[in-house]
Amino acid sequence: MTVRDAVDRALAAYADLQGGAEDVEDEWMYIQDLTAAHRERLEALADADGDRELDPAVGSAIEAACDEIGRIRDPHRAIDWLSTFPSVVAIALGQEP
Amino acid sequence: MRFQDAARDARTVVYAGIQADPLVARAAEALAEATPAVLVLARAVMNGESDDEATWRAIFPTLLGPLADAPSRAAAEAALQPALAIAAKGAEARNQYRGAVVEELTARLLARRSGHVRRERRVLFDGVPAEIHPYDVTIEDDRRPEVYDCKWGARGIVDDVLHQLDDARAHAADEEVALPVALVVFDTARSCAVRLDRTYAPRAGTAIVPLERMRSLAATVPVPDDPAVGDA
Repeated sequence: MTVRDAVDRALAAYADLQGGAEDVEDEWMYIQDLTAAHRERLEALADADGDRELDPAVGSAIEAACDEIGRIRDPHRAIDWLSTFPSVVAIALGQEP
Repeated sequence: MRFQDAARDARTVVYAGIQADPLVARAAEALAEATPAVLVLARAVMNGESDDEATWRAIFPTLLGPLADAPSRAAAEAALQPALAIAAKGAEARNQYRGAVVEELTARLLARRSGHVRRERRVLFDGVPAEIHPYDVTIEDDRRPEVYDCKWGARGIVDDVLHQLDDARAHAADEEVALPVALVVFDTARSCAVRLDRTYAPRAGTAIVPLERMRSLAATVPVPDDPAVGDA
Protein backbone atom coordinates (compact mmCIF):
# COMPACT_ATOMS: atom_id res chain seq x y z
CA MET A 1 0.00 0.00 0.00
CA THR A 2 1.27 3.50 -0.88
CA VAL A 3 0.53 6.77 0.84
CA ARG A 4 -1.91 7.55 -1.99
CA ASP A 5 -3.69 4.22 -1.48
CA ALA A 6 -3.92 4.85 2.26
CA VAL A 7 -5.31 8.35 1.82
CA ASP A 8 -7.84 7.16 -0.76
CA ARG A 9 -9.02 4.42 1.58
CA ALA A 10 -9.21 6.86 4.49
CA LEU A 11 -11.13 9.46 2.49
CA ALA A 12 -13.71 6.87 1.39
CA ALA A 13 -14.30 5.86 5.02
CA TYR A 14 -14.35 9.54 6.02
CA ALA A 15 -17.10 10.25 3.49
CA ASP A 16 -19.24 7.51 5.02
CA LEU A 17 -18.59 8.91 8.50
CA GLN A 18 -19.63 12.35 7.29
CA GLY A 19 -22.90 10.93 6.01
CA GLY A 20 -23.67 9.56 9.47
CA ALA A 21 -22.80 12.83 11.19
CA GLU A 22 -25.09 14.88 8.96
CA ASP A 23 -28.10 13.58 10.89
CA VAL A 24 -27.25 16.38 13.34
CA GLU A 25 -28.93 19.01 11.20
CA ASP A 26 -27.91 21.98 13.36
CA GLU A 27 -24.27 21.23 12.63
CA TRP A 28 -24.62 20.61 8.89
CA MET A 29 -22.57 23.60 7.76
CA TYR A 30 -19.91 22.99 10.38
CA ILE A 31 -19.63 19.41 9.21
CA GLN A 32 -19.17 20.55 5.59
CA ASP A 33 -16.45 23.03 6.55
CA LEU A 34 -14.75 20.63 8.94
CA THR A 35 -14.59 17.76 6.49
CA ALA A 36 -13.44 20.03 3.66
CA ALA A 37 -10.54 21.28 5.78
CA HIS A 38 -9.45 17.82 6.84
CA ARG A 39 -9.89 16.31 3.36
CA GLU A 40 -7.69 19.05 1.96
CA ARG A 41 -4.98 18.23 4.47
CA LEU A 42 -5.07 14.48 3.72
CA GLU A 43 -5.05 15.10 -0.01
CA ALA A 44 -2.01 17.32 0.44
CA LEU A 45 -0.24 14.45 2.18
CA ALA A 46 -0.96 12.21 -0.79
CA ASP A 47 0.12 14.87 -3.29
CA ALA A 48 3.41 15.37 -1.48
CA ASP A 49 4.36 11.76 -0.90
CA GLY A 50 1.82 9.59 -2.69
CA ASP A 51 4.13 6.98 -4.22
CA ARG A 52 5.91 6.09 -0.98
CA GLU A 53 5.41 2.46 -0.02
CA LEU A 54 4.15 2.06 3.53
CA ASP A 55 5.25 -0.37 6.17
CA PRO A 56 2.65 -3.16 6.35
CA ALA A 57 1.88 -2.11 9.94
CA VAL A 58 0.82 1.31 8.65
CA GLY A 59 -1.41 -0.21 6.00
CA SER A 60 -3.03 -2.37 8.66
CA ALA A 61 -3.43 0.70 10.89
CA ILE A 62 -5.31 2.57 8.18
CA GLU A 63 -7.59 -0.41 7.64
CA ALA A 64 -8.20 -0.78 11.38
CA ALA A 65 -8.98 2.93 11.76
CA CYS A 66 -11.40 2.79 8.82
CA ASP A 67 -13.09 -0.25 10.34
CA GLU A 68 -13.36 1.58 13.65
CA ILE A 69 -15.18 4.59 12.24
CA GLY A 70 -17.31 2.30 10.09
CA ARG A 71 -18.91 0.98 13.27
CA ILE A 72 -20.09 4.37 14.51
CA ARG A 73 -23.86 4.76 14.51
CA ASP A 74 -24.34 7.72 16.84
CA PRO A 75 -24.20 10.97 14.82
CA HIS A 76 -22.79 13.01 17.70
CA ARG A 77 -19.99 10.54 18.16
CA ALA A 78 -19.47 10.69 14.41
CA ILE A 79 -18.85 14.45 14.70
CA ASP A 80 -16.23 13.78 17.38
CA TRP A 81 -14.56 11.38 14.98
CA LEU A 82 -14.73 13.75 12.00
CA SER A 83 -12.19 15.93 13.79
CA THR A 84 -10.14 13.00 15.16
CA PHE A 85 -9.88 10.47 12.35
CA PRO A 86 -7.78 12.61 9.96
CA SER A 87 -5.21 13.14 12.73
CA VAL A 88 -5.15 9.42 13.41
CA VAL A 89 -4.41 8.81 9.74
CA ALA A 90 -1.73 11.50 9.69
CA ILE A 91 -0.01 10.01 12.74
CA ALA A 92 -0.02 6.56 11.16
CA LEU A 93 1.60 8.08 8.07
CA GLY A 94 4.35 9.56 10.23
CA GLN A 95 3.03 13.13 10.24
CA GLU A 96 2.10 15.52 13.02
CA PRO A 97 -1.59 15.39 14.01
CA MET B 1 -12.76 41.93 40.97
CA ARG B 2 -12.88 38.84 43.18
CA PHE B 3 -13.32 35.09 42.92
CA GLN B 4 -15.97 33.00 44.64
CA ASP B 5 -16.87 29.31 44.88
CA ALA B 6 -19.64 28.24 42.53
CA ALA B 7 -23.04 27.50 44.02
CA ARG B 8 -23.51 23.77 44.55
CA ASP B 9 -26.56 21.97 43.25
CA ALA B 10 -27.27 18.29 42.59
CA ARG B 11 -25.55 18.35 39.20
CA THR B 12 -22.40 19.97 40.50
CA VAL B 13 -22.24 17.54 43.43
CA VAL B 14 -22.36 14.59 41.02
CA TYR B 15 -19.78 16.19 38.77
CA ALA B 16 -17.52 16.95 41.74
CA GLY B 17 -17.54 13.22 42.46
CA ILE B 18 -16.31 12.55 38.93
CA GLN B 19 -13.65 15.25 39.20
CA ALA B 20 -12.40 13.62 42.39
CA ASP B 21 -12.24 10.10 40.89
CA PRO B 22 -8.59 8.94 40.91
CA LEU B 23 -9.09 7.76 37.33
CA VAL B 24 -9.36 11.40 36.22
CA ALA B 25 -6.14 12.28 38.02
CA ARG B 26 -4.38 9.24 36.54
CA ALA B 27 -5.45 10.19 33.02
CA ALA B 28 -4.42 13.81 33.45
CA GLU B 29 -1.07 12.84 34.94
CA ALA B 30 -0.36 10.59 31.96
CA LEU B 31 -1.25 13.34 29.50
CA ALA B 32 0.65 16.16 31.19
CA GLU B 33 3.89 15.14 29.47
CA ALA B 34 2.30 13.85 26.29
CA THR B 35 3.11 14.91 22.75
CA PRO B 36 0.25 16.07 20.51
CA ALA B 37 0.23 12.63 18.87
CA VAL B 38 -0.33 10.92 22.22
CA LEU B 39 -3.06 13.44 23.05
CA VAL B 40 -4.77 12.47 19.79
CA LEU B 41 -4.46 8.81 20.78
CA ALA B 42 -6.16 9.59 24.11
CA ARG B 43 -8.84 11.61 22.35
CA ALA B 44 -9.50 8.78 19.89
CA VAL B 45 -9.82 6.17 22.63
CA MET B 46 -12.00 8.40 24.84
CA ASN B 47 -14.22 9.29 21.88
CA GLY B 48 -15.63 5.91 22.72
CA GLU B 49 -15.99 3.15 20.21
CA SER B 50 -13.85 0.05 20.67
CA ASP B 51 -12.63 -0.69 24.19
CA ASP B 52 -10.43 -3.47 22.83
CA GLU B 53 -6.82 -2.62 23.58
CA ALA B 54 -5.54 -4.60 20.58
CA THR B 55 -7.56 -2.40 18.22
CA TRP B 56 -5.77 0.72 19.40
CA ARG B 57 -2.37 -0.92 19.23
CA ALA B 58 -3.14 -1.73 15.60
CA ILE B 59 -4.37 1.78 14.80
CA PHE B 60 -1.33 3.51 16.33
CA PRO B 61 1.73 1.51 15.22
CA THR B 62 3.97 4.58 15.51
CA LEU B 63 3.00 5.01 19.18
CA LEU B 64 2.07 1.57 20.50
CA GLY B 65 3.27 -0.84 17.84
CA PRO B 66 6.34 -1.98 15.97
CA LEU B 67 7.20 1.46 14.60
CA ALA B 68 7.22 3.25 17.99
CA ASP B 69 10.42 4.53 19.55
CA ALA B 70 10.90 3.97 23.28
CA PRO B 71 9.89 7.43 24.57
CA SER B 72 6.77 7.54 22.38
CA ARG B 73 5.78 4.05 23.44
CA ALA B 74 6.18 4.82 27.15
CA ALA B 75 4.04 7.94 26.91
CA ALA B 76 1.41 6.21 24.82
CA GLU B 77 1.25 3.18 27.12
CA ALA B 78 0.73 5.48 30.10
CA ALA B 79 -2.10 7.28 28.35
CA LEU B 80 -3.81 4.18 26.98
CA GLN B 81 -5.01 2.43 30.14
CA PRO B 82 -6.87 5.33 31.79
CA ALA B 83 -8.30 6.32 28.41
CA LEU B 84 -9.64 2.79 27.94
CA ALA B 85 -11.15 2.85 31.43
CA ILE B 86 -12.97 6.07 30.57
CA ALA B 87 -14.03 4.76 27.16
CA ALA B 88 -15.61 1.71 28.82
CA LYS B 89 -18.07 3.88 30.76
CA GLY B 90 -21.57 4.57 29.53
CA ALA B 91 -21.99 7.44 27.09
CA GLU B 92 -23.24 9.99 29.62
CA ALA B 93 -20.57 9.21 32.21
CA ARG B 94 -17.88 9.08 29.54
CA ASN B 95 -18.75 12.59 28.39
CA GLN B 96 -18.42 13.89 31.94
CA TYR B 97 -15.21 12.00 32.65
CA ARG B 98 -13.43 13.17 29.54
CA GLY B 99 -14.46 16.77 30.25
CA ALA B 100 -13.10 16.39 33.77
CA VAL B 101 -9.83 15.05 32.34
CA VAL B 102 -9.35 18.13 30.16
CA GLU B 103 -10.00 20.39 33.16
CA GLU B 104 -7.66 18.42 35.41
CA LEU B 105 -4.96 18.39 32.74
CA THR B 106 -5.30 22.15 32.33
CA ALA B 107 -5.11 22.69 36.10
CA ARG B 108 -2.04 20.48 36.44
CA LEU B 109 -0.20 22.24 33.63
CA LEU B 110 -1.00 25.68 35.06
CA ALA B 111 0.07 24.55 38.53
CA ARG B 112 3.60 24.17 37.18
CA ARG B 113 3.91 27.94 36.99
CA SER B 114 1.44 29.10 39.64
CA GLY B 115 0.54 28.11 43.17
CA HIS B 116 -2.85 29.81 42.92
CA VAL B 117 -4.81 27.43 40.67
CA ARG B 118 -8.46 26.89 41.63
CA ARG B 119 -11.40 25.05 40.05
CA GLU B 120 -15.06 25.87 39.40
CA ARG B 121 -14.93 29.49 40.46
CA ARG B 122 -17.09 32.47 39.65
CA VAL B 123 -15.60 35.87 38.98
CA LEU B 124 -17.42 38.82 40.52
CA PHE B 125 -17.12 42.47 39.48
CA ASP B 126 -18.40 45.58 41.20
CA GLY B 127 -21.77 46.65 39.83
CA VAL B 128 -22.07 43.68 37.46
CA PRO B 129 -24.66 40.91 37.99
CA ALA B 130 -22.82 37.69 38.80
CA GLU B 131 -22.68 34.98 36.15
CA ILE B 132 -24.13 31.75 37.44
CA HIS B 133 -21.80 29.57 35.39
CA PRO B 134 -18.38 29.14 36.98
CA TYR B 135 -15.12 29.12 35.04
CA ASP B 136 -13.44 25.72 34.90
CA VAL B 137 -9.97 26.74 36.04
CA THR B 138 -8.65 29.98 37.47
CA ILE B 139 -5.33 31.36 38.62
CA GLU B 140 -6.10 33.60 41.55
CA ASP B 141 -2.86 35.49 41.84
CA ASP B 142 -3.50 39.07 42.96
CA ARG B 143 -0.80 40.34 40.62
CA ARG B 144 -1.80 38.36 37.51
CA PRO B 145 -5.10 36.44 37.66
CA GLU B 146 -6.10 34.23 34.72
CA VAL B 147 -9.36 32.54 33.71
CA TYR B 148 -9.85 29.34 31.67
CA ASP B 149 -12.72 27.35 30.29
CA CYS B 150 -12.15 23.88 28.87
CA LYS B 151 -13.86 21.90 26.11
CA TRP B 152 -13.53 18.34 24.90
CA GLY B 153 -13.88 19.23 21.23
CA ALA B 154 -14.02 22.10 18.79
CA ARG B 155 -17.77 21.66 18.67
CA GLY B 156 -17.82 23.02 22.20
CA ILE B 157 -16.65 26.41 20.93
CA VAL B 158 -19.98 28.23 21.03
CA ASP B 159 -20.93 31.87 21.29
CA ASP B 160 -22.04 31.65 24.94
CA VAL B 161 -18.65 30.39 26.04
CA LEU B 162 -16.74 33.02 24.06
CA HIS B 163 -19.04 35.78 25.34
CA GLN B 164 -18.57 34.67 28.93
CA LEU B 165 -14.78 34.71 28.66
CA ASP B 166 -14.78 38.06 26.88
CA ASP B 167 -17.16 39.53 29.46
CA ALA B 168 -14.74 38.57 32.23
CA ARG B 169 -11.84 40.16 30.38
CA ALA B 170 -13.81 43.34 29.62
CA HIS B 171 -15.18 43.76 33.15
CA ALA B 172 -11.71 43.24 34.59
CA ALA B 173 -10.39 45.89 32.21
CA ASP B 174 -13.07 48.25 33.55
CA GLU B 175 -11.46 47.72 36.96
CA GLU B 176 -8.02 48.28 35.39
CA VAL B 177 -7.06 44.63 35.78
CA ALA B 178 -5.43 42.87 32.83
CA LEU B 179 -7.14 39.46 32.90
CA PRO B 180 -5.90 36.88 30.41
CA VAL B 181 -8.78 34.59 29.39
CA ALA B 182 -8.45 31.38 27.39
CA LEU B 183 -10.46 28.50 26.02
CA VAL B 184 -8.62 25.17 26.18
CA VAL B 185 -9.90 22.75 23.54
CA PHE B 186 -8.85 19.10 23.49
CA ASP B 187 -9.04 19.03 19.72
CA THR B 188 -6.75 19.90 16.84
CA ALA B 189 -5.98 23.46 15.78
CA ARG B 190 -7.45 22.72 12.36
CA SER B 191 -10.83 21.76 13.81
CA CYS B 192 -10.78 24.74 16.17
CA ALA B 193 -10.03 27.10 13.29
CA VAL B 194 -12.98 25.77 11.32
CA ARG B 195 -15.28 26.20 14.30
CA LEU B 196 -14.05 29.71 15.01
CA ASP B 197 -14.71 30.72 11.41
CA ARG B 198 -18.39 30.13 12.11
CA THR B 199 -18.71 32.28 15.21
CA TYR B 200 -19.41 35.98 15.49
CA ALA B 201 -18.84 36.18 19.23
CA PRO B 202 -16.02 38.46 20.39
CA ARG B 203 -12.75 36.57 20.66
CA ALA B 204 -10.03 39.11 19.92
CA GLY B 205 -9.03 39.10 23.58
CA THR B 206 -9.42 35.35 24.12
CA ALA B 207 -6.63 32.83 23.65
CA ILE B 208 -7.64 29.55 22.05
CA VAL B 209 -5.44 26.69 23.21
CA PRO B 210 -5.83 23.63 20.98
CA LEU B 211 -4.43 20.20 21.69
CA GLU B 212 -1.12 20.98 19.96
CA ARG B 213 -0.43 23.85 22.36
CA MET B 214 -1.60 22.37 25.62
CA ARG B 215 1.86 21.79 27.04
CA SER B 216 2.66 25.49 26.63
CA LEU B 217 0.19 26.24 29.44
CA ALA B 218 2.86 25.08 31.88
CA ALA B 219 5.32 27.72 30.74
CA THR B 220 3.55 30.84 29.53
CA VAL B 221 0.29 32.75 29.61
CA PRO B 222 -1.49 31.96 26.31
CA VAL B 223 -1.71 34.85 23.89
CA PRO B 224 -4.95 35.70 22.10
CA ASP B 225 -4.78 34.65 18.48
CA ASP B 226 -6.38 32.08 16.24
CA PRO B 227 -5.04 28.53 16.41
CA ALA B 228 -2.09 28.03 14.09
CA VAL B 229 -2.60 25.17 11.67
CA GLY B 230 0.58 23.48 10.58
CA ASP B 231 1.23 22.81 6.93
CA ALA B 232 0.75 19.29 5.71
